Amino acid sequence: MTLNVKCPECDGEIEIPSDVISGEIVSCPDCGMDYEVVLTEDGGIELKPAEIEGEDWGE
Amino acid sequence: MLVVKIGGDIIQSRMEESLLSDIRRIHESGGLILVHGGGDEVTRIAEMLGKEQRFIQSPSGIRSRYTDLETVQIYTMVMAGRVNKAVVRWLQSGGVPAVGLSGIDGALIRARRKKRLLIIDERGRKRIIEGGYTGKITEVERGLLDLLVENGYLPVVAPIAIGEEYEPLNVDSDRAAAHIAGAVGADRVIFLTDVQGVTLNGKLLERMTLKEAEEILPRMGAGMDKKVLASIEALKAGVKEAVICSGFLDEPITRAIEHKGGTVITLE
Repeated sequence: MTLNVKCPECDGEIEIPSDVISGEIVSCPDCGMDYEVVLTEDGGIELKPAEIEGEDWGE
Repeated sequence: MLVVKIGGDIIQSRMEESLLSDIRRIHESGGLILVHGGGDEVTRIAEMLGKEQRFIQSPSGIRSRYTDLETVQIYTMVMAGRVNKAVVRWLQSGGVPAVGLSGIDGALIRARRKKRLLIIDERGRKRIIEGGYTGKITEVERGLLDLLVENGYLPVVAPIAIGEEYEPLNVDSDRAAAHIAGAVGADRVIFLTDVQGVTLNGKLLERMTLKEAEEILPRMGAGMDKKVLASIEALKAGVKEAVICSGFLDEPITRAIEHKGGTVITLE
């Protein structure tokens, strides 16, 4: 079961799993943009461009 | 100047006379700085203290400790205390004037805390989580190291950095060694580990250029990838040569300098 959300960049269709949780990264299949999923208090889904730090390479 | 990284497994089982005499001889012949690992000991002590360690996986497959506040406190205690002092005591017992430091002391290693991390979660999906207390090294204060080396001391550095808000940060010891080597203008950085060097399809790669190292990096397994990456970073910072080799042979540092075994990585 998936939900479809429009890509804010290109209007492409991004499939979101129904069990998605905040912080998950989804990619637009059309333009390749990565988005972070934000679940809103009213149960909605917002996408914001993913700002990703480098790898955790501590000991 | 020479920078040598000693892996935690060597500290666990190889702190004996042949390595000690090798370090003493190299130290007496010129500037030497040691950086040590010890992640397994941190895990062991943390679990003894009832703090289960959580490991996370990056999208490219790198497995790392998740360093929350309690973990970074234990990490600092074990790395700067138990492990660092064990190495310093061992060196002192052999007449080597070792001085133990962490990256916090004299703000030797400054890092920027990684506030958010991209991981592969337990469902196999990419997800952003709070970054905990790991950092990306931004600066090494070479003056303190010069001061010690010029006065005949051997600095022994634990891989802990100080953050922008003066918090302790877990940094990878291979990359700490690379940054230190670059900062002090070292000719060479040596990574002593528990394998013979970089292998591909079971075959030891004796020589590699920087470009070849970059090409091979995605094919490296856990652990070796960090050493190859650290070698690349060291070379880009001006170090002439990086050597990845076994610390379980006699006179491993001398052998590395003489290119007897191991993998030698150079610019060209």
